[in-house]
Amino acid sequence: MFGRLLFESFRRQLRRKAFAVLAITLGMSITTAMISVATDIGDKLNQELRTGSANLVVTPLADSLDVNIGGVDLKPASEGAFIHESDLPKIKGVFFRHNILGYAPFLSASQNFTIGGRAITADLVGTYFSQPVQQGNENFATGVRTVNGFWKVEGNWPADNSADALAGASLARKTGIRIGDRLQAGSQELRINELRITGILSTGAAEDDAIVAPLHVVQQVLGRPDAVRRVIVSALTKPEDAFARQNPASMSPAAYERWSCSPYANSIADSISKVLPNVRVEQIRQVEQNQGNVLARISGLMLLLTIASLVASALAVSAVMAATIIERRQEVGLMKSLGAGNLAVASLFLTEAGILAIGGGILGFAAGVVLAHRIGQSIFGSSITVPPVVLAIVLFGALVVTFVGSTGAIRKAMRFDPAVVLRGDA
Amino acid sequence: MSRAHLVFLLLVKAAWVRKDRSLTALLSITVVATMATVALSVYADVGTKLNREFRHFGANAIVTSPQGPLDSSQLATIKNTLGGRGEVVPIAYAIAQEASGSPVVIGGTDLQAFHEMNSSWSITPASDQQGQAWLGARAAEILSPKGQDFQISFGGKSLQVHPGAVYRSGSEDDSRIYLDQKQFSFLTGLQPNIVQLRIDGSPSEIENQIQKLSAAIPQAEIKPVLQITAAQAAVLGRTRSVVLAASAVVVVLIILCMVATLTGSVLERRKDFAVMKALGASNSSVNILFAGEATLLSIIGALCGFVAGSAVAWWIGAANFGAGIQPRLGLLLPVVVGSIILALIAATAPLKVLRQIQPAGILRGE
Repeated sequence: MFGRLLFESFRRQLRRKAFAVLAITLGMSITTAMISVATDIGDKLNQELRTGSANLVVTPLADSLDVNIGGVDLKPASEGAFIHESDLPKIKGVFFRHNILGYAPFLSASQNFTIGGRAITADLVGTYFSQPVQQGNENFATGVRTVNGFWKVEGNWPADNSADALAGASLARKTGIRIGDRLQAGSQELRINELRITGILSTGAAEDDAIVAPLHVVQQVLGRPDAVRRVIVSALTKPEDAFARQNPASMSPAAYERWSCSPYANSIADSISKVLPNVRVEQIRQVEQNQGNVLARISGLMLLLTIASLVASALAVSAVMAATIIERRQEVGLMKSLGAGNLAVASLFLTEAGILAIGGGILGFAAGVVLAHRIGQSIFGSSITVPPVVLAIVLFGALVVTFVGSTGAIRKAMRFDPAVVLRGDA
Repeated sequence: MSRAHLVFLLLVKAAWVRKDRSLTALLSITVVATMATVALSVYADVGTKLNREFRHFGANAIVTSPQGPLDSSQLATIKNTLGGRGEVVPIAYAIAQEASGSPVVIGGTDLQAFHEMNSSWSITPASDQQGQAWLGARAAEILSPKGQDFQISFGGKSLQVHPGAVYRSGSEDDSRIYLDQKQFSFLTGLQPNIVQLRIDGSPSEIENQIQKLSAAIPQAEIKPVLQITAAQAAVLGRTRSVVLAASAVVVVLIILCMVATLTGSVLERRKDFAVMKALGASNSSVNILFAGEATLLSIIGALCGFVAGSAVAWWIGAANFGAGIQPRLGLLLPVVVGSIILALIAATAPLKVLRQIQPAGILRGE
């Protein structure tokens, strides 16, 4: 009997039910899309920022002090300690290897160049542009194109296995260097003594006044094979909290394990320093500390917007459910006049609401996934992942919202005298 | 009693008699107006709020003077051009020698202002004592591993350095020593040759200020710190896009929800429609009554929604950024007009369907 009543209710009131399902679907698609966007935006922006600039720097431990003013390195190239280039792929072999987006080594020294008979002196900086590297079974390309997204090149990037180079924008302006020019490096014993300029580089930093060439070229110029002076690393990190700032040396073994398994900048730095001998790994604090704060603010903003949206969609769905029940007061009156008790009437209406909630919830989840995907693709160029747990949240939310929206209206409808309702006076 | 007054009374009475139906319709409109107000307020203000956050990134432009030190008139020009929308920290650099003769870069500046500019550095212990030097972590390890005093010299003059604080920056600054400007001048006699600038505002405003500064001091070179300004532009652009897209999705879906509620509510009143028609009401009279009711509800709903939305937006700003998002009165008119238009569409569109059915048919329950 109950099943037949339920079936007939859906069969005879298709339009009314369609409105209710539509409302629940819309509400739940908002829920799905907003939760997905809010939970994923931190990772998406973090990824974006990490390809824009590195957040860790690796330097030799036993090095003497840097002597650098206004981007000009005044320390003789022969002085101080170096990191072995051949050790660098180990950076991608640490525990947090999936968090390491890339790295770029640097080796630089002041050099004399000749261009069209004129002599100029400028820093020669060697680095990876997009160098293919192998670590274990993994092949990847890394370099400044991966970790320094703010470097802008007019012209073409040099190939890492070539003798091509970039001229810094300020240096090019001051000396008249243009794309296609060939620079003779000062050293006579240099095997590769001619650099072809393929692009003009703007970084807003010291490289604007330098010639930037593939690392192997600079190693040859300086007679320092396998040597690099500094490595910058771009790693996806978790914003620093009080636990992250604790000294790992004073932690209990359990706390240290938790700390070393959390992708804080400090713990990633610790894991890199374990695989590279005699290095110091530091956060680039201007980048790491502040970007963490900004990401936390943006995630917080999206969370609050999500809460506001969820409340709004809950109210909207509740209003639709209440309106649906209100319009069915005569049905309630008829059922009661035929002897149905309050429990039977409430059960029928709440079961209907439950079916509508599950149907609308599933449709809403599907629509929300599509919306989140579209938002991710259009803004970040990659889809936003929707965790499966969101489906459970959405279905639970749909049930709560429809029950809450329906219950008040059902109780009110049942309070009326059936005779009055059937006369149409209520 | 005028006709307008009569219609108004009729509308109020209709809303009062069917309080439940009117309240659900009102709730739907209020929710839409609230979310529209929240979304527009947050979208309009998120740039300003995030730009404030980027102040903590420190210097976003550097002034250098290839022709020698910057004089006081040039520094004054920089400060005047910024007009209080940023911070200016002049620094003088020199290469001194430590006791063993190895070179070490020293900087002279207003240490307090320098600290505020580079607030992300880790500094231990924090010290505000005058006459003490700030040592980069690497400089401290080599020159003062136990925090002891040490000597540096420049051009025949010597200075006993009292380490006051050790900082970590993750940059070449870790190899430097920063002294109070007076001590630095005493040792070197040099004037500032670099200025760190923190220009407040959006990336385009920062770019404009740099252009103004370049025009005001042509002999100096002013460069944006692209690492910071590019990150700011990327974060701002993406965040505004996400807020806009998410808000658009929410508002459009809630509007559809509202339209469904109002349309359903009108369709349920087909008997009212049929009775009016049977009593001789013209199509326009029926339209006016239904549209009038929708307009009345939408105005009340939009006003309530604007107040609620402004309050929610203020709360979002206060909870997340520590400063509430101020209500924007300019949004009131678009919210009210938008609500009226949507309510009119939702309320009058179903009447076209009803007009195709004979009143007698509706009253028979067809």
